[in-house]
Amino acid sequence: MKLLLNLLKTPMFVIGTTIFFGTVLVALFAPMMYHVDIIARVGMPYMPPGKEHLLGTNHLGVDMMSLLIKGLGSSLYVGFLAGMIATVTGTLLGIYGGFKGGWQDDFITLITNLFLVIPTFVVLILISSSLKEGRSLALIAGIIGATAWTWSARAVRAQSASIKSRDHIALARVNGEGTLKIVVKQILPYLFSYVFMVFIMQTASGILSEACISMIGLGPYDTVSLGTILNEAMRNEALGDGAWWAFIPPMILITIIVFALNFINTSMEGVFNPRLRK
Amino acid sequence: MKHLSLLKFMVIGALSCGIISCQQKKPGTVTEEGFPREKTLYLAGFQWGDPNTFNPLSDWPAFPVGGKYNLMYEPLVVFNSITGKIEGLLADSPERTDSTISVKMNPMARWSDGKPLTSADVKFTFEIGKRFKGAPTAYVWDFISDITVDTVVDSSASGEMKLEKIVFFINKKERNNPLVVMDILQNIRIVPRHSIEALLAEAGGELAELQKLKFDKDPVVSGPYNLLRYSNEKIVLKRRDDYWGCMALYNNRLPQPVYIIHPIYKSNDHFSIALQQGNLDISATFIPRIWLKAKEGVATWYKKEPFFIPATIPMLQINTTRYPLSDRNVRRAMAYAINYKDIRELAVSGYSPPILSGLILPFGVEADYCNAEDIQKYGVSYDPEKARAIMKEAGYTSVFDADGKLNHVKNAKGEKVPTMSVKSPAGWSDWESMVQIAVKGMRAAGIDVREGFVDASLYWSCMPVGDFDLLMQKPVPEVTPSKPWSRFDAVMSSRNWKPEGEKMNENQGRYNNPSSKDYNPEVDNLLKRIPTLTDNEEKIKAYRQLNIIFMQDMPALPLAYLPEQFYEFSTRNWINFPTEENSYAPPQCLCYGAGTKALWEIKSVAAE
Amino acid sequence: MLKRYPTVRYIVTRGGWYFLTFLVAVTLNFFLPRMGKSNPIDIIMAKVGGGLDTKAAQAKEEAYLKEFGLVELDAQKNIRRSADGKPVRTPVWKQFRNYVGMCLRGDLGTSFLNYPKKVVDIIKQAIPWTIALQLPTIIFGWIIGNVLGALAAYRRGIFDGVFFPLALLANAMPFFAFGMLLMYLFAIIWPIFPAVGGYAGNLVPTLSWTFLSSMAYHYILPFFSIFLILAGGQAIGMRSMCIYELGTDYVKYAKWLGVRENKILMYMFRNAMLPQLTGLALSIGQMIGGALITEMIFSYPGLGMALLTAIQGNDYPVIQGCTLLVTVSVLCANFIVDILIGFLDPRVKAGIAGGGK
Repeated sequence: MKLLLNLLKTPMFVIGTTIFFGTVLVALFAPMMYHVDIIARVGMPYMPPGKEHLLGTNHLGVDMMSLLIKGLGSSLYVGFLAGMIATVTGTLLGIYGGFKGGWQDDFITLITNLFLVIPTFVVLILISSSLKEGRSLALIAGIIGATAWTWSARAVRAQSASIKSRDHIALARVNGEGTLKIVVKQILPYLFSYVFMVFIMQTASGILSEACISMIGLGPYDTVSLGTILNEAMRNEALGDGAWWAFIPPMILITIIVFALNFINTSMEGVFNPRLRK
Repeated sequence: MKHLSLLKFMVIGALSCGIISCQQKKPGTVTEEGFPREKTLYLAGFQWGDPNTFNPLSDWPAFPVGGKYNLMYEPLVVFNSITGKIEGLLADSPERTDSTISVKMNPMARWSDGKPLTSADVKFTFEIGKRFKGAPTAYVWDFISDITVDTVVDSSASGEMKLEKIVFFINKKERNNPLVVMDILQNIRIVPRHSIEALLAEAGGELAELQKLKFDKDPVVSGPYNLLRYSNEKIVLKRRDDYWGCMALYNNRLPQPVYIIHPIYKSNDHFSIALQQGNLDISATFIPRIWLKAKEGVATWYKKEPFFIPATIPMLQINTTRYPLSDRNVRRAMAYAINYKDIRELAVSGYSPPILSGLILPFGVEADYCNAEDIQKYGVSYDPEKARAIMKEAGYTSVFDADGKLNHVKNAKGEKVPTMSVKSPAGWSDWESMVQIAVKGMRAAGIDVREGFVDASLYWSCMPVGDFDLLMQKPVPEVTPSKPWSRFDAVMSSRNWKPEGEKMNENQGRYNNPSSKDYNPEVDNLLKRIPTLTDNEEKIKAYRQLNIIFMQDMPALPLAYLPEQFYEFSTRNWINFPTEENSYAPPQCLCYGAGTKALWEIKSVAAE
Repeated sequence: MLKRYPTVRYIVTRGGWYFLTFLVAVTLNFFLPRMGKSNPIDIIMAKVGGGLDTKAAQAKEEAYLKEFGLVELDAQKNIRRSADGKPVRTPVWKQFRNYVGMCLRGDLGTSFLNYPKKVVDIIKQAIPWTIALQLPTIIFGWIIGNVLGALAAYRRGIFDGVFFPLALLANAMPFFAFGMLLMYLFAIIWPIFPAVGGYAGNLVPTLSWTFLSSMAYHYILPFFSIFLILAGGQAIGMRSMCIYELGTDYVKYAKWLGVRENKILMYMFRNAMLPQLTGLALSIGQMIGGALITEMIFSYPGLGMALLTAIQGNDYPVIQGCTLLVTVSVLCANFIVDILIGFLDPRVKAGIAGGGK
């Protein structure tokens, strides 16, 4: 509680959360207020922003505003889902390894280190290029999550290994408490803030990964995301035709979401690690 | 920091040496200052990936070998897509009899090493296909049965001359199709027997081994240009000042550009940027909204819509073995439900004239066979009311949601009709928008169809085996003498009919199953008969019949007319490109068909 | 014997570990692209089969299946056929065995799309460009980012106040987005730099001043689009590291002792550098990935472009060749950083000397 109060006193945290929740609110509620239609052609190709279409149209004459709202939702969704998968998998494996020790720990560490070194980008490309049919948004999030869990596992393992040797854990052991109970009651609370930070970073990198994958043409087929909007703009001469409204806004959106998440993360680091403050 | 910058220079220096040493080298041919702009023609859109090989016997060599290009290797004759005439090149224009097609070789034709190009080379080129099943010329032997050479005496004002006459016998047993033989004469590029025979012997007589050779070092060619050098970024051709055709065909004039450079861009918008900035002279790529680029000196064949000469028909091929697409009424209703005007204006940037029903282009060479009355009587046009009426009449009930969106369709028995999907490669933006507009119209008319964009590779896998409901495609896009027969053949022929799951290379919609009770033998009869017809009236009659069957049965849904090849040029560095007003050559990008002759006519702006 | 040379032992164990990783990477590289159901030969056939009739197409297809080792051959090198006349496909494990054998011989196979071009040749042409672009950007981005980060931590004040949010913003932007922005601003709106390519279209690579200057001119936009973003990211990490170091006892003690500021800064920098070095090793894969996409944006003739073309054409051998190469270079980079850390970090050094973990 005190931590939360401290956080709320940090301007960085306040700015970060405001921006971030702002984008989430837009993604959630804008479709109710604004008529979002990403199929219908409402005008001619690349109509500049004007009264009728606030952000102009894309190369097919589809309203950019609609595309952005839909794309923002998709990108946030991918980020959350990928972040969730990566964090949960990583945390479970990390705590298990760190707490259990022994050969299980060695094994998990080996696997983690192995996949940590093999570039995620490569695995992402290999998997996405082999999935032809139904490369849905959820699947892409799954792939990103499945390749990103390694560094959460590594980070969490280090933390839980250091907590493990503390006295109160030994005490709980002596009292005969089961491993699961110790993990849930004694270790998780200590790790919570840390895990939360990991989650935020994973979400941010999930959004970036999706944008990269979509940019090289391996994005979802079933919907638009900020990455696919950029890819379409690039492929359909938005740059050459000077249609800045087709690529600058999605670029700004990606940047400010990730920026806000980074801001939140940095501010939390400062609060949890008081030495960073001054 | 001093050390660091020194280090940086060393690293960059070393790497640039690396880059240079990894390129194809041929010293002393180009100045270090690069190719002079006023003598160089930049042409792009034919080579997308890294140049793989320049082997004329390979299945898909890099530009300008293989395919339809006439710059290095040449065919016997070329096809002029504007006049519809076959023009001579290595030989004069063909003579057709009932059982043969013959050409007379041009006696002046020479290879780049000075040896005469004779009937022996022609025979050799064709017969490679007889010897090896994997050769690009293998297929011709279904259409010709034999090649013989006679000597004829040609007497003209300048005296008597002995000419070689090559006679191609039409393969009556197999396909009996003189039309395709005509195609073949302008499709097959003649290769030098004297150099290839030796290489083939070195390769142990194995074609597969020969096909691995790259032919990129001073190849023996007959065309006006030869390969100078190439890398992953560009292919450079240099003019051959001793080209035989300069003397024989062009009154001792040389082609204007000394160099032809084909830069290899990987993304569509780069072509457009390069054209507008004057770094590219001709592009054969789809560049949307071309009128916006006119102020930068970019022009096309026509000054206004449709900008290009239409020549091919992108269409939705229908898998006629799947329910409910097996029902002719559903197919016809679909054809009525598509808004062709939207497709023309939004999907293809207005590059298509208004479309008429049927498989025959209503203009140009094919216009003779197109009959307005038939189209009036049997054809379809955008009419959603009519589409709904047909569906209703055929017993289908479309169930709409409260918000007006189609929910599902029921048939006469009250069963739910399966949702159909249109397969099209993801990311092909003009095709994607055509499909979206078609699907939108069909759903509005109460036909349950959805878009199904798939990865291009999966698309190619599904096409031959018929694994689709509807498939976006553009059958036989090349303009050849066999049009429109080859288009009908590609869509309707059941000569090689196989059930879904087995591969077919034509009629992938499996229309007109020969073993079903609805089989219409007339289709295959007409397809077989048309190529052998010589009388124009009879041809017109046969085509009319075929087109009527097509319009009645609708085995595919034509969507628009597009050019064989896009043709955009920039007048910043070169002028006098062929256009509608100045139509001395067809818009074949100066490198294939009869379009090559424009190379002699364009003018450098700097030289003016 | 190794016990007597702890450094060698350290290097050998690390090397062995990286070799294991390499094997796993090769396995992934082979199996991941084969998860999908599309068949590369179909793509080739789509290219060559255009005007062919069904029978001719079949004959051609079998010739390619044979060429790419996808069908079993009998003693006479003819295609083995099952009872119904269809060719017998080579089982996946056999293909894998052949693949590993070829990889170890340095043969990455033949491109499907650019047949008969060897994958090794395609990569050989692309790799100098990629190294020329990425090695300097990554090294200088890392060094300059770290110096700026340390300065920001030490100076704080206005410098930090302006610099830090900017760095965060840079870090939040994907490489390619920044590349697109630079291209739009400086190659299209205000065309002072070339938009695409590695050198001017009228040149060919020679060791001439014209070519080298054209290369340098084309280098600027891609360089900055990677460099600025990368430096920003590094600076953020370094800044928090340094702030952390500032609060440690040794800095306080040194200050109390009145040690010169520059010297304290040096100590601090050295200590904060180590985790940054480890960070570099871990993120190098991501950096290369991001930089490859930047190459695609600028049509820079490097590995990114080769990879993009291969992805679009489903050219497995080339995709695999590129990814394998990226993996190997990331592994090597990690190995080098590992060894560097081994020499620089007193703690690791002590561990090596003690012969333990």
